[in-house]
Amino acid sequence: MKNSIIKSILAATIFFISLPLMSQNEMLFFQAAGTPGNPKVQVSWNRYYTHAGVTDLMKKIAAAYPSLVTLESMGKSYQGRDMWVMIISDKKTGDPGTKPGFWIDGNIHSIELQGTEMALYTGWYLCEMFENNKFINELLKDKTFYIAPTINPDARDYFANQGVPPRSGLMPFDNDRDGSFDEDGADDMNGDKNISQMRRKNPDGNLIADPKDPRRMIRVEPGQKGEYEYLGSEGIDNDNDGQANEDGIGGYDGNRDWGFNWEPNYVQSGAHRYPFSQPENKAVRDFIVKHRNITGAQSFHNSGGMILRGPSIQGGGAEAYSRTDDAVIDAIGKTGEKMIPGYKLLTIWRDLYTVYGGEIDWWHGGMGCFVYSNELWNSFLMFYDTAFTDQYEFDRLLLFEDAFIPWTKVTHPVYGEVEIGGFSKMLGRLHPGFLLETDAHRNAAFCIYNAWNMPKLEVSNVKVTKLPGGLKEVTARVSNLRMMPTHSATNLRYNIDPPVYVNIEGATVIAGMRVINKDLNRTVEQKDNPQRMEISNLQGYQNVDLKWIVKGGSKYTISVESVKGGRASAVAE
Amino acid sequence: MKLPLKVLILAAYGIILSGTSGVYGQYSNHKEIISSIRSMAAKHPSLCTAATLAKTEGGKDIMVLTIGTGDKDNKPGIAVIGGVTGSHPAGRELALGFASNLLGNASSEEIKTLLGEVTFYVVPDLSPDATEQYFMDIKYERHVNARKVDDDRDFRFDEDPAEDLNKDGYITLIRVSDPAGTYIESKEDKRIMVSADLAKGEKGAYLVYPEGIDNDKDGKFNEDGQGGVNFNRNLTYNYEEFGSNAGLHAVSEPETMALVDFLFDRYNIYATFTFGPQDNLTQTSRGAERSPQAQGQQAQSSQAETPGQGRRMGSRKITSVQRTDEVVMRYASEKYREITGLKGSAQPVSDPGNFADWAYYHYGRYSFSTPGWWFPVERNTEPGVAFLKFAEEQGMKDAFVAWTEIEHPDFPGKKVEVGGIKPFVMMNPPADRLSTLAEAHYKFIVAMAEEHPELEFSNIKAEDEGEGIFRVTINVHNKGIFATCAEAGQNNIFTRIMRLSLQTSKGQTLLSGQQVQRIPRITGDGVEEFSWLISGKGTLKITAGAANTGFINTSVELK
Repeated sequence: MKNSIIKSILAATIFFISLPLMSQNEMLFFQAAGTPGNPKVQVSWNRYYTHAGVTDLMKKIAAAYPSLVTLESMGKSYQGRDMWVMIISDKKTGDPGTKPGFWIDGNIHSIELQGTEMALYTGWYLCEMFENNKFINELLKDKTFYIAPTINPDARDYFANQGVPPRSGLMPFDNDRDGSFDEDGADDMNGDKNISQMRRKNPDGNLIADPKDPRRMIRVEPGQKGEYEYLGSEGIDNDNDGQANEDGIGGYDGNRDWGFNWEPNYVQSGAHRYPFSQPENKAVRDFIVKHRNITGAQSFHNSGGMILRGPSIQGGGAEAYSRTDDAVIDAIGKTGEKMIPGYKLLTIWRDLYTVYGGEIDWWHGGMGCFVYSNELWNSFLMFYDTAFTDQYEFDRLLLFEDAFIPWTKVTHPVYGEVEIGGFSKMLGRLHPGFLLETDAHRNAAFCIYNAWNMPKLEVSNVKVTKLPGGLKEVTARVSNLRMMPTHSATNLRYNIDPPVYVNIEGATVIAGMRVINKDLNRTVEQKDNPQRMEISNLQGYQNVDLKWIVKGGSKYTISVESVKGGRASAVAE
Repeated sequence: MKLPLKVLILAAYGIILSGTSGVYGQYSNHKEIISSIRSMAAKHPSLCTAATLAKTEGGKDIMVLTIGTGDKDNKPGIAVIGGVTGSHPAGRELALGFASNLLGNASSEEIKTLLGEVTFYVVPDLSPDATEQYFMDIKYERHVNARKVDDDRDFRFDEDPAEDLNKDGYITLIRVSDPAGTYIESKEDKRIMVSADLAKGEKGAYLVYPEGIDNDKDGKFNEDGQGGVNFNRNLTYNYEEFGSNAGLHAVSEPETMALVDFLFDRYNIYATFTFGPQDNLTQTSRGAERSPQAQGQQAQSSQAETPGQGRRMGSRKITSVQRTDEVVMRYASEKYREITGLKGSAQPVSDPGNFADWAYYHYGRYSFSTPGWWFPVERNTEPGVAFLKFAEEQGMKDAFVAWTEIEHPDFPGKKVEVGGIKPFVMMNPPADRLSTLAEAHYKFIVAMAEEHPELEFSNIKAEDEGEGIFRVTINVHNKGIFATCAEAGQNNIFTRIMRLSLQTSKGQTLLSGQQVQRIPRITGDGVEEFSWLISGKGTLKITAGAANTGFINTSVELK
């Protein structure tokens, strides 16, 4: 026992020689259910990480679990930051590129930070639980996770270090169409790296401070005299055109830039010039088209507590949603509602709004995958109550007013004396620290459940029967043991991925056929290449029986391969 | 020893071809196009620069000639585009011919002035990988670049190309005598195969396929040849997801991306002229139908979204020519006929995701497009029949390959013949017509350029209101026929909004009116009025404009 502790400490020391924190002595604590008891990589999940911090954690996880993790850069962001993706799978049980893959990304919208921590948590959790948890262990034998915690690293760092970025990345963008780029953004007048509200004393204003909580501005009753007016968010009219803050940094939308159902800016605000005109998305595209085994995908946004599914436009454009696909998408999403209290499964175009060129439509429509987008955090989480959702009370009682910037006087060049204050950028859309880990775990569990439901193929019931004339009949059953099909309806309609192939080796194949009804001997023959039978799709829990007439050989290997469904084989003698 | 002999034979073949009168031989290949571009730039260094925008998958350069004087990217600009599809080498000849005519006349007073006012961006050759097929030993109308694409989505790449079965250097058609066929010889011209019409008591006698072998045994011929992606189907407007030769997604190809970026970066461009299959200069219909893409489009936009559910962004889509743009289009059409003298109309060609439609609907600029040459087709006439009649009248000798019997491995024991209209001849004029056509189109584009948006200040008034207060009123007038921005582009974030700015001098204060204000758009010959109330004497400086109009200045003395 002691020996193994020393060993593990030694191992950890070798891995983290430069780290102040190491695996801690097991004697000081013991494992809680469902979390790693003594993780090799110590992470605090109650704070946010910069891109450098995210990079550092991924490198540590990759170094601690070399047999599970490969860390790759998909390319560079506009400002030259690496777009990291962690590839996680049990490498000993097969090439990760041949197993069904599950993609997770976060932070495509820069202010929607916590998707990064949730994605990163998922990767960390899988690695740290691999050895001792049977479910996770088997999952990583069968599947591969591709985790890109932030696909908008430039603006993430702007949020962390400078102020409040737009939703987009940081490519210059002329929002007011005057020929100058990013010349009139918000101005952090009190230098607190927040862009908050400006209020001004004005007896004709329609606002007063709430007597119950003077931080809160409330509208006056009719006939009552006001005390303040709002002047919008912190800033000045830098370009003297009569409008304030109308052309800040960036200002497009990374989630209106994907190559499916794309429409230009005047139809879909936020769109850039053409699909993938943003380097960050282009890097993701280049990676995905080389990893066709990715079958399921999850994108993290905020906020509102939603598990969003497509389509994003009515009818879905060129996309196809079969009834069986819809059933799978809804079944997984409904389970998600149970796993993440306060979150609701919603359809984007119907329940939210129409989106052209969204990421998840490209995943589903262009790549033929199953995909969700979770809008993380909602007001329910404050008091576990849908009715009582007072952010001021939450901040006062649970955060001790840490998320509020007290109203402070500043001299504005145009408005004169104003007061700047309000909730900081850390509350409203983002989880406060103490809830971050909880929701990260629930969302990670949803991803894990989703990934588990990706196809798992099996070859069984292999039988060899002697036929007259020295021929043999070989029969086998190919099954999909999970809920998701190997091919979505869109994938089938547009031949995005090859069919499921079932190969027989070890004999000369005379004929091959699919058995439709064994008892009545109804079969469908495949005339070309009977040694490589094609099955267009294996639905969830579907079995397909195959039969070959062969000559010679004594040992036959039946193997099934599917780009999105993985591989399996069986041998018959 | 064998190899040089083969080379010699090929060379001789080339000489014979170029010696024949008529269609082949006088068009320029990619290398010659590039060398013409470079020599124009070298010959006119003060007017003209040449730059490489991209390299195609096939390693060929996409080049642009920028022609003009002064601050080139801050005055009205026109883009002249050619080679949008590989079956139309005439397009790149006409685009390049425009540049060559413009530079050739640059010493004339008219053109010298024009080049000071308007910048021309000429991108003559956007499908060099495809168009090169015109100059190959085996010629066929290839539309796709050199990217390896599984055109027929059977997970095999480029496995079913065309084969020149009769070894004549052209890919034409094969016809197979078979009662299962649905084709018959046309009654008007037996050389042309047409669909049998059961309603007229006709029964099919031939199977007709493009000339080749069904290499992948899928019942389709030549459906997955070399390449690729068709530039003219790779743009965002009306883009067809998973469409034939459309690319992985819209603007997936380096040449598409480079051109689109180049154009978006040039906010000064107000109009594009495309020499390509689409025609919107001779079509007589109006409104939506005037668009080159009248048929089979707007599948997406016609889906009305349910009211009250979701945000109805679909309603912001523009799918027909806008009212004030229509006026300018009509003017351009009339000028086109008048200047070029061309009669009739080109056959409509539908390319979802084509360049000319993109330029109007998604780039938001006036977009004109013409094949530059066509043959007359009367109503209810088979185009092939009409073409052969036209070819005969025009003395085009080389247009048809007579049906000749061959042995075909896919149809053992059946009578198979190769024949048909030669590739390229229906879309491209005989080479000896090129210089006349280029000059005519040059004149047309120059006439359009002369009507570029141009701002002037007019009716400047400074009224003394007493007490040292002045009301200053000014009109901004667009002297051109073209609006400062096409109506289709007025809400497009990649078009500029003009600014009008007023600079007061010391001791003056602005009592009313804004120092900087937006002028969203002024139609042709339109006027916008602005006024300010100013306290204090002195000089006011007023500036107006944007990249697409150029900038104008004036000053007003208040005394």
